[in-house]
Amino acid sequence: MSTFLLDAQNLGISFGGLKAVQALTLQIPPNALHGLIGPNGAGKTTAFNLLTGVYKPQTGSMTLNAQNLMGLPPHLIAKAGLSRTFQNIRLFGELSVLDNVMLASHCRGHHSIVATLFRSPTFLAQEQAMRRRAMHLLDLFALAPAAHAQAKSLPYGDQRRLEICRALATEPRVLLLDEPAAGLNPSEKQALAKLIQTVKAQFNLAVLLIEHDMSLVMQVCEQITVLDHGCTIAHGTPSQIQSDPRVREAYLGEPTPTPAGT
Amino acid sequence: MPSALDATTNAQLRRPNLPLITLPWLACALLGLAMLMLGRFLGSYQETLMQQVGIFAIAAVSLNIVNGLAGQFSMGHAGFMAVGAYVAAATTYYGSLLHFNTAELQPGLFNFGHVLMLIGLLAGALVAAALGYLVGLPSLRLRGDYLAIVTLGFGEIVRVLLQQTSPQVNGKDPAEIAAFTDAPLRTLARIPLNGALGFEGVPAYATNLWIWTFVGITCLAAYRIKESSSGRAFLSIREDEIAARAMGINLTKYKVRAFVLAAFFAGIAGGLLAHAGVTTSPIDAGFQRSFEIIIVVVLGGLGSISGAVLAAIVFVLLPQVLHPIKDYRLVIFALLLISMMLLRPKGLFGVREIWNILPRRAAHTKPGATP
Ligand SMILES: Nc1ncnc2c1ncn2[C@@H]1O[C@H](COP(=O)(O)OP(=O)(O)OP(=O)(O)O)[C@@H](O)[C@H]1O
Ligand SMILES: [Mg+2]
Repeated sequence: MSTFLLDAQNLGISFGGLKAVQALTLQIPPNALHGLIGPNGAGKTTAFNLLTGVYKPQTGSMTLNAQNLMGLPPHLIAKAGLSRTFQNIRLFGELSVLDNVMLASHCRGHHSIVATLFRSPTFLAQEQAMRRRAMHLLDLFALAPAAHAQAKSLPYGDQRRLEICRALATEPRVLLLDEPAAGLNPSEKQALAKLIQTVKAQFNLAVLLIEHDMSLVMQVCEQITVLDHGCTIAHGTPSQIQSDPRVREAYLGEPTPTPAGT
Repeated sequence: MPSALDATTNAQLRRPNLPLITLPWLACALLGLAMLMLGRFLGSYQETLMQQVGIFAIAAVSLNIVNGLAGQFSMGHAGFMAVGAYVAAATTYYGSLLHFNTAELQPGLFNFGHVLMLIGLLAGALVAAALGYLVGLPSLRLRGDYLAIVTLGFGEIVRVLLQQTSPQVNGKDPAEIAAFTDAPLRTLARIPLNGALGFEGVPAYATNLWIWTFVGITCLAAYRIKESSSGRAFLSIREDEIAARAMGINLTKYKVRAFVLAAFFAGIAGGLLAHAGVTTSPIDAGFQRSFEIIIVVVLGGLGSISGAVLAAIVFVLLPQVLHPIKDYRLVIFALLLISMMLLRPKGLFGVREIWNILPRRAAHTKPGATP
């Protein structure tokens, strides 16, 4: 029995000969803000795909709140309390902003087809509750005025925030954010950092954050895991990571001397 | 802060709720009424046309559930229709022989013949839905073209199987009727659906009143599905399967559910067709009719229920309007389709309904000050 909310041990997967992720261990206590960093192609997104069931891990084990997640399909992992955003935004573009968020609360309800066809009182009450909750979330993200616009019509930064908003609507215990600050300007990034912390406190969840922007990561994360070529090369607090020689090598060993990729 | 929040919430909540309940009812009722009134003034030929429009509308609206909402490209919809048609036809025909000792149409506004038709419609729809379940299962593994080929194959299998059925009991021959009523089960076990010749002589109980009632029921059901959590689940699968799964949607369940619902209402369309005074033949299960329904759905807009009904009307009536220049009507129809694809690739209405086009535009521009 671990004290960790999310306890993933020794996760691994290879594609053909490429070991995309090897022996990845992530142990995240409740309410933690954990960073997952590494150069391009290090295997960060693949780690998310393993955790959320997009790929089945070939090795290892993972539990959420002592519930086994290994081998579960993605929708059951979402129901268990793991929710994510995507590096390349994957909103339901043709749907309204509101519908995007309402859809995500699906796994918390019952959806009998008979109740739907006859619009039973419980069905109507559930729809109303979903809508109300979605509007509250949108309000928190200052997206409520655009609730009836098509998701794809939103400006880029709003789309990124809508993805976080949608992920929250599944009522997760752990929120996985894949490069939420990508493409944002410095002031938007600051607002995002604040938002992540607010959300974490308000919804009482743990956050696992993939991010290339080092100052953002160092600012908000309590613990950081560093991947390179699928292997975990370091693990620790931001200051430990900053002074770790292997991390410096992984980043500075690249032809470009800047620590942050794109 | 809470009051400001409630104000926006309520404002946002109110608008989509009102048209949800009243407008589709009104639209269906008005459309049905208009059709009925027209029927009073027009001849039997026009009445036949209206029946065709109605049946096409049900077929298109039902296909729209799986093709338009859930985004699973099904090319075997006529197969489900044919299954419904044959089950309903056999129920009414053989039921009439047993009960009335004849397959002739029984006079009157409502009699046991109509009850037989309704039982047949339900039975046909249920059998079609069961097959929809079976055909829906491969959609979990197959996408796009591959799924299209499997569903196409389904329609063709139905067609070929129907061609193998044994001759029908002749409802005009008292000796055959007597032999049938003596041992109905033994006769039915031969599956007497008349093979390639097509099932004939089903009493034509499906008047425009019945057909357009079912158009209304189907549209209402489709609309309620679309504007529900299940409808959002369908649309999310159409938009992005990976994101839908990650947000907790059980792809298996909802893809199969879309197929079952679509097949159920296709079965009803088929059942009505069988009672509309035409011979039900195996060809009806073939890909030509499936394509016709697909064209109607694409014309109307993938996901738009009112669009599908409108497109069904256009599809059936346009060739009639173009009759005087009938040498060119196929050309004109093809040109129309092509220009449609170029100008409005999402169909007339896209995923929206007719009554949503204007208000949605307004809503789009109103909150211009997005932060
Ligand atoms: N489905 C797949 N099939 C084959 N190779 C894959 C697959 N998914 C990922 N990879 C490979 O695994 C490696 C890790 O990719 P991943 O997307 O996890 O990197 P990342 O750390 O997220 O990089 P970035 O910072 O660029 O997003 C890459 O070499 C990638 O090409
Ligand atoms: Mg990545």
